[in-house]
Amino acid sequence: MKRVLISLGLMLALCNTAQAGDLVKVKGATKGRTNHQFIYEEGCKTCHQGSARKYVDDSACIDCHGNINDIEVTRELVLEEANPHKSIHFNQGASCLACHAEHQTKAPVCSECHRTWFDEM
Amino acid sequence: MSNRRSFLRLGAGLAAGGLAAGLPAVATAAPATRWDEEVDVLVIGSGFAGLSSALNAKRQGLGKVLVLEKMQVIGGNSAINGGWFAVPKNPIQLAQGIQDDSPAELVKDQMISGRGMADEAMLTQIAEHALGAYHMCVDAGVEFRKNFNIQVGGHNKARAIRTKHGTGGDITTKLYEAGKQEGVEYRLQHYIEDFILNSEGEVEGVVVRRGYRFPDQKTGSLVRIKANKAVICASGGFTRNMALRAAVDPSLDPTLDGTNHLGATGEVMLAAMAHGALPVHLNMIQTGHWGSPDEGGFGWSNALLSIGWHEGISVSVLSGKRYMNERADRLTCSTAIMKNRHQDGTPAYPLVLFNYNDHPDDDRVVRALRDEMAWKVDSLEQLAEKFNVPLAELKQTLAQWNAQVTKRTDPDFGRKMDTAVKLKPPFVVSRIWPKVHYCMGGLKTDMGGRVLDCRTMQPIKKLYGAGEVTGGVHGHARLSSTSCLECLTMGMIVPKTIKADA
Ligand SMILES: Cc1cc2nc3c(=O)[nH]c(=O)nc-3n(C[C@H](O)[C@H](O)[C@H](O)COP(=O)(O)OP(=O)(O)OC[C@H]3O[C@@H](n4cnc5c(N)ncnc54)[C@H](O)[C@@H]3O)c2cc1C
Repeated sequence: MKRVLISLGLMLALCNTAQAGDLVKVKGATKGRTNHQFIYEEGCKTCHQGSARKYVDDSACIDCHGNINDIEVTRELVLEEANPHKSIHFNQGASCLACHAEHQTKAPVCSECHRTWFDEM
Repeated sequence: MSNRRSFLRLGAGLAAGGLAAGLPAVATAAPATRWDEEVDVLVIGSGFAGLSSALNAKRQGLGKVLVLEKMQVIGGNSAINGGWFAVPKNPIQLAQGIQDDSPAELVKDQMISGRGMADEAMLTQIAEHALGAYHMCVDAGVEFRKNFNIQVGGHNKARAIRTKHGTGGDITTKLYEAGKQEGVEYRLQHYIEDFILNSEGEVEGVVVRRGYRFPDQKTGSLVRIKANKAVICASGGFTRNMALRAAVDPSLDPTLDGTNHLGATGEVMLAAMAHGALPVHLNMIQTGHWGSPDEGGFGWSNALLSIGWHEGISVSVLSGKRYMNERADRLTCSTAIMKNRHQDGTPAYPLVLFNYNDHPDDDRVVRALRDEMAWKVDSLEQLAEKFNVPLAELKQTLAQWNAQVTKRTDPDFGRKMDTAVKLKPPFVVSRIWPKVHYCMGGLKTDMGGRVLDCRTMQPIKKLYGAGEVTGGVHGHARLSSTSCLECLTMGMIVPKTIKADA
């Protein structure tokens, strides 16, 4: 994990605009995020324990990024309550995957009812 | 009946309903005697009912408590709900000087609205636990609006309090965190597929699709979890199950969207029914006439229309004319709204408009315009063009309306005109179409929340139900702010029953 964190640090230093990370082709038909390039070099098992088809829970995200409430939203919020990392509907009770996806674009869960201002998921 | 066979039977039933097409064959592979995991109390669903049940099961000393939730967020409908909570004798009400309310007063209102179909004993038990449920919330850190307690539709007293942010999320997030602290375990993306019963007809555990990704029925892998003391169904309503909705109430037009979260599809209720659980009042489904087709779910429309219905008018885009009494009840308005259709039957969403200059800074207006579910238009010409309404008719409608406001009479629809306002541009304009909102029906339980078997009218052993998945409590129409009450309260009662049964 340490290694991952170091490479993450490097990545951020190299590209400090890294937001959600653009979705690009990584292997065959599989897409992935530019900011996770270093993970792909190490293989699917960094996130998918066992097999790439297996269920990935949030620990794969949390190991590097921290818990949902600790991750600052860097862009200006349209209104205070619209902070998806401190959501008044879900707060800690949201999986990263409710809004983010690694291999495809995803509509955030709030867009089921509200217009949102987050388009890079 | 072997477990394996009962599973197959359920699979067939679901497939016939068009629900679970493509259940993989692995479902039946493992023998029922082999368990992947064991807990004491297993709770299905993480809304008010599930969160309260889990927390109170822990507090009753029932042992290991596991909450399984199929979605990627905790809370179901409860997390997106409006945060209204009916509590007779709540401290704010008492501070307002309202001393003559009581649980019995609330039940009186609910019996009227239930049209003879509500369960008086159950409602009484729930109302008597209201203060307890309120304190459970406050103790968990839930904040309610200061000095806010009002009278909402169908209640004869001001007794509805509201959470700080006006959403049930203020309650679900806190109950979730309290549960976590007290040792409740929660897992997302765990879809309950079936119950496992032993040869005595007693529920032993569940089949779970772990790693499920809504709505793909083929995702995840199947595991079997044993529940030593109880399985509690707290899986909510089924308004998002279009086939079931149409089957039980064909009058619900397929063009109607819903206010519910997308996971309100009812499969846990159906699985329980496949094992003999008695369904009641499934066709009683509440619809709201205050929806906007320009946003998902509940959205802002309801709040915006609390101005529109009173001060403004609703016009048909087809004729440019008013077509209903904007202040009539839900059913009358829904019916009138849904008559607005293009020739091919598709909805011709009617408009609601009122004066922008009377409310430029009102929260309800600001966020509706910001989110583009309502628009500011500067003239009737602009309005007619944007929404394709016949201009001449529209002009005439407004002139006639303004004359009626002066006289305070509405000869066309008999609307009460005390709050009516003369209309002049700029206007706030939104589009409307009814939305499906709440299932009064569901599984029949006894007073303790034990799910009843339709063949014996006796409890199915170790199977309990709480919240919107249960039915027969409210009868024909549930009153506003009473579901929150019911769910939180039954979540306190069911663990006591389990303790008594264990
Ligand atoms: C927009 C909106 C506003 C409302 N406003 C109010 C209000 O202000 N006051 C009030 O009293 N009532 C209100 N209601 C009604 C009330 O919120 C609901 O009736 C109540 O939240 C139901 O709670 P529940 O715990 O029974 O179900 P839910 O909160 O819906 O929770 C059920 C959970 O079970 C999960 N689940 C379902 N099937 C499975 C499965 N197979 N496996 C695993 N998990 C499953 C669901 O995903 C969901 O998370 C509102 C409803 C809506 C939709």
